[in-house]
Amino acid sequence: MTTNDERSVNVSGSLEKLLDNLDEAVAILARTKDFAKPLKTGRVLTVARRVLMLEGGCAALEQRAPDIEAAGIFNGSDWAFPQILIPSLARHSLQSGTSETVVMEALSELRLLAVAHGTYLHAGISTEQAHHYLTQVLALNLELLFTPPSETERTQQGDLALLTRALYRHLAEGIGYEHVIDQLVDEIWRILQQRPIQVDSVKQMILQIATCRANPEIDLGNSGQGADRLISSLFGTTHGCREDPGLDAYLERLGSMDTAALQYEATGFARAMHDTGLVSPYHTVLLRHLLNHGEHLLAEAMGLSSTGRDCLLCYRELVHAMIDLGVHPQTSQAVYGLALLLERGILYQPPVAPALWRQVALPLSPYSQQRLILAFGNTPAPNARLMEGVLCMLGQPLGVGQGNNPTCQSARALSMWAYNDPDYLLQMVAWATRDDEIIMHFEGQPVSSRENLEGVAKGLPFDLDPVSLLVVPHLDRIYVEMGRRCVGRSEDPHRWINPEFHGWWAGRGFRIAVDVATGKLHQLDDFLRYFYASYHPYFNGNQPLIHPQPAGIAVTDSAARFIGWHAITLLRVSLDPQQVMRMYFYNPNNDSGQDWGDGVVVSTAGNGERFGEASLPFEDFVSRVYIFHYDPLEPGDPTQVETQYVHTVIDKIQRSWGRDRLPETGLQADDGQETVPG
Amino acid sequence: MTKDNSKGYVAILGWSLNAIEAIDRFDRRYIVVAPEWAEDYCKEHDIPYLPWNFERLNDRSMEIAQRLKEEGVDVAIPLFEETVEWAGAINAVLLDNPRLFGQSILFRDKALMKRRAQLGGIRVGIFEEAHDKGDVIRFLKRVNQTLLKLDGDPNDPIHLKAFDKAGCLGHRVIRTPDEVDTIPDEEFPVLMESHLDGWEFAVEAWVHDGKIRFLNISEYVTLGYSVFVPATPELERYRDAITRQIEKLIKTFDIEFGFIHPEYFVTSDGEMYFGEVAYRPPGFKVFELLERAYGFNAYQGMVLAFDPKTTEEEITAFFPREVVDAKGHAGCFGVYPRRRVVSKLEIPEETEQHEYFESHELTSPLEETVTKRTAFGTHWGLVYFFGDDPHRMRDLLKHQEDLDFYV
Repeated sequence: MTTNDERSVNVSGSLEKLLDNLDEAVAILARTKDFAKPLKTGRVLTVARRVLMLEGGCAALEQRAPDIEAAGIFNGSDWAFPQILIPSLARHSLQSGTSETVVMEALSELRLLAVAHGTYLHAGISTEQAHHYLTQVLALNLELLFTPPSETERTQQGDLALLTRALYRHLAEGIGYEHVIDQLVDEIWRILQQRPIQVDSVKQMILQIATCRANPEIDLGNSGQGADRLISSLFGTTHGCREDPGLDAYLERLGSMDTAALQYEATGFARAMHDTGLVSPYHTVLLRHLLNHGEHLLAEAMGLSSTGRDCLLCYRELVHAMIDLGVHPQTSQAVYGLALLLERGILYQPPVAPALWRQVALPLSPYSQQRLILAFGNTPAPNARLMEGVLCMLGQPLGVGQGNNPTCQSARALSMWAYNDPDYLLQMVAWATRDDEIIMHFEGQPVSSRENLEGVAKGLPFDLDPVSLLVVPHLDRIYVEMGRRCVGRSEDPHRWINPEFHGWWAGRGFRIAVDVATGKLHQLDDFLRYFYASYHPYFNGNQPLIHPQPAGIAVTDSAARFIGWHAITLLRVSLDPQQVMRMYFYNPNNDSGQDWGDGVVVSTAGNGERFGEASLPFEDFVSRVYIFHYDPLEPGDPTQVETQYVHTVIDKIQRSWGRDRLPETGLQADDGQETVPG
Repeated sequence: MTKDNSKGYVAILGWSLNAIEAIDRFDRRYIVVAPEWAEDYCKEHDIPYLPWNFERLNDRSMEIAQRLKEEGVDVAIPLFEETVEWAGAINAVLLDNPRLFGQSILFRDKALMKRRAQLGGIRVGIFEEAHDKGDVIRFLKRVNQTLLKLDGDPNDPIHLKAFDKAGCLGHRVIRTPDEVDTIPDEEFPVLMESHLDGWEFAVEAWVHDGKIRFLNISEYVTLGYSVFVPATPELERYRDAITRQIEKLIKTFDIEFGFIHPEYFVTSDGEMYFGEVAYRPPGFKVFELLERAYGFNAYQGMVLAFDPKTTEEEITAFFPREVVDAKGHAGCFGVYPRRRVVSKLEIPEETEQHEYFESHELTSPLEETVTKRTAFGTHWGLVYFFGDDPHRMRDLLKHQEDLDFYV
């Protein structure tokens, strides 16, 4: 430990003196105009680094977080927008050998801790979100809490590795150790209940918990008990792989099992898979092995019901071909996708099976192959990756996520097609991945994704499932081009784009709650009456929603402040188990469970939701809608909608995103403001 | 900062983010005159801007002066060596004083500069212009003959400098006739100077109404590598003598206002030799060091010194007292890679950990092979230090020369 002693001599200067220096550096940064800030950040970071190394330094920085952020240290970087930060990326910053990056990340996390403690009111992120984010970051970096730096870290980072540990101790003390693991487990279950297609980060978190629990030096106390099922769904799922023997050993064991033993393995895996939505790599070994053992065991291993089994038997060869191509230890989620695809019975739609045969044999363009390899690596081959992606998207249409990209429209379209028009989706996949071009038509004119290179997203996305990875960039460009062709029309372009972009079933009737020119609320009463009359079973003749419909919502944060416009899909409206009328919808965001403020908390489970659905009581939902489509020939009867409903919703709008959008003439319901209750 | 229209309106010639940042938060109106590539940046950040390409003075030179005059600009301030004569030409028009242009030419041509200094009774070394390699060999021989060296004695070196380049650019040291062969022909003509054995230092002086308003002495630890302010007491003890030298210089060059940055040698017997003088901020970020040490902004000081509307009270109040008002010593070190092949930037742990270390502006290497330095080249970036003890600062800066920043 001599080196440490020497260091502490070198890093002299009391905390107080350093903080004076820091405050001065921050003040200089604060008075510097944006364009020159990069010239002045170096000194702040150096002093901050020294402060972090000292006892009490983290607390001092946490306390100064509002000033440091206000000075503009994060300007021009992702850290400036804490709401978009991704917990899994924090790790890379913290392990960087560049001290500026490490210190920036540390400052950002301490700032979020201040937000989580409620001592710093941040415009971009709420207390709960900050707490949530830090919990995840801690969970993903548990080893920083429990283990000393490894030799590699030490050589790469020097005492930066000690700095990150000091930081994490402070964060964990601030958040509470017990929260970390338990909350992490809760968090994983909450995410899994939405059955996302992309589960890599979830698997990574589970791996972390498993490693921590296996380490005798880490005392987790009573926490982490709920992790058992999660860990066993990936490792040691069944009797045959109880002690995580490795894939080769397991395959060898399968060879010596009789039918009863195989059956036992099959049910074990199937149960774990349907419990969690996660598939163990061992499961894929079993499934491939069972290709030669009859359909009964195959159906068992996928946990199929009679529908799925029927489908499997009818399309035996296709299923075999898809397993052979797409199911590998690295693409284990393909099993779950395939199982759900079979359960959906969509193979009975005439074009779907032949389209899947085309998919199996599809020659990918060199560009598509390259993109897949860049995103997912070489093994298995790109077409196997894509097969996994196709199976998952068709099996879990509501599991499509937009990643960290502004492409909610494209993600929604993919989800909608997978849900409603699977062979059209397969057609899009073929065009995009084989031909590197999609052509759609807008008002009779072709729109090519190759001729129009500008999309909403600035760069090519990488954080997506295989299908989205290749198709979204095309859709995004087409969407933008359609928008460009609407320039000059005085109304919101989604009126025309949505039906042409998503499909004929998107209603040509269109209502918007906002005046495009002024941004103010506009004919709200009329808007709400049409929505109720079209979608609420009490007012539309008890007609269930037939096709998924695109709609636009005004997203608000937990303080009910307006955040932005967002695309979602209306799926169904019905009474939940508590006899409350609910809207069930799809949100292309990666996590639908969001608090929209003013008591509007989106539920993802426990209120009658199917996997991947989000839901809200009908009026809560309507209070965030600003655009919707309807069939002009089946509009229901807007006049029948009770005024009381309309008023309730208008109040909710005024308390949230409509706060700054009140038109000068006021918001008057048809029969006058004075009858508004309460 | 809100601008005071009763005070001067200045044009900044050349592009320096540090300068713009500083002047932007000062009370004078300003406009940046820079090449067209700066246009988008200026638009984006609301920086007042006039496009101009500073090539050699030509028949369009009047145009920029006229445009600035119409704009209402009172005076132009050069930021770089290349814009000094432009400032002279423009100010000749703006201030209706044709002599300013001639003055600026003196600053731009090192041979003219030395002659003028000599005429003013300032001590300079032996110097001569060289047009080819033969001139260099003759000069080297003659200088060493003068020094009464015998054949076989090691030669005293001579220095070669471009006439019109800033600081160390194109600066070579020649000791033997063999070395003359390494000079590319396209570097001629050059100025040759005898080597002065002594302590080299630089001065930054802000001049207004012909008087020195602030005089800083910058101590070079190793020329081209490191500098710090304020200097050690050993150098500061020459302050009075240095001040007299600068006053002489101001008189000789007829400087009424502005900012000068001369270099001197002081020999062991206390004699001062004039090296050269520039009419622009020093290249080695001394301005930033001064702000760190004293708290005042040197660019703003420059604006005050140039602005004809600056009042006596204002400029007196602006500058602190030399040395005594400094909060500590600020220094910087210019990093040159020491290896022939480098792959990454790695700040030495002992540097980064040092109590005096403050920040750096080094970036990762773009190329793996390091070009061999022929003359005093350009450093790859600066490392900044700040601390209480000038001797510790000096030794720390010296020590950096033994460390690898690029490995």
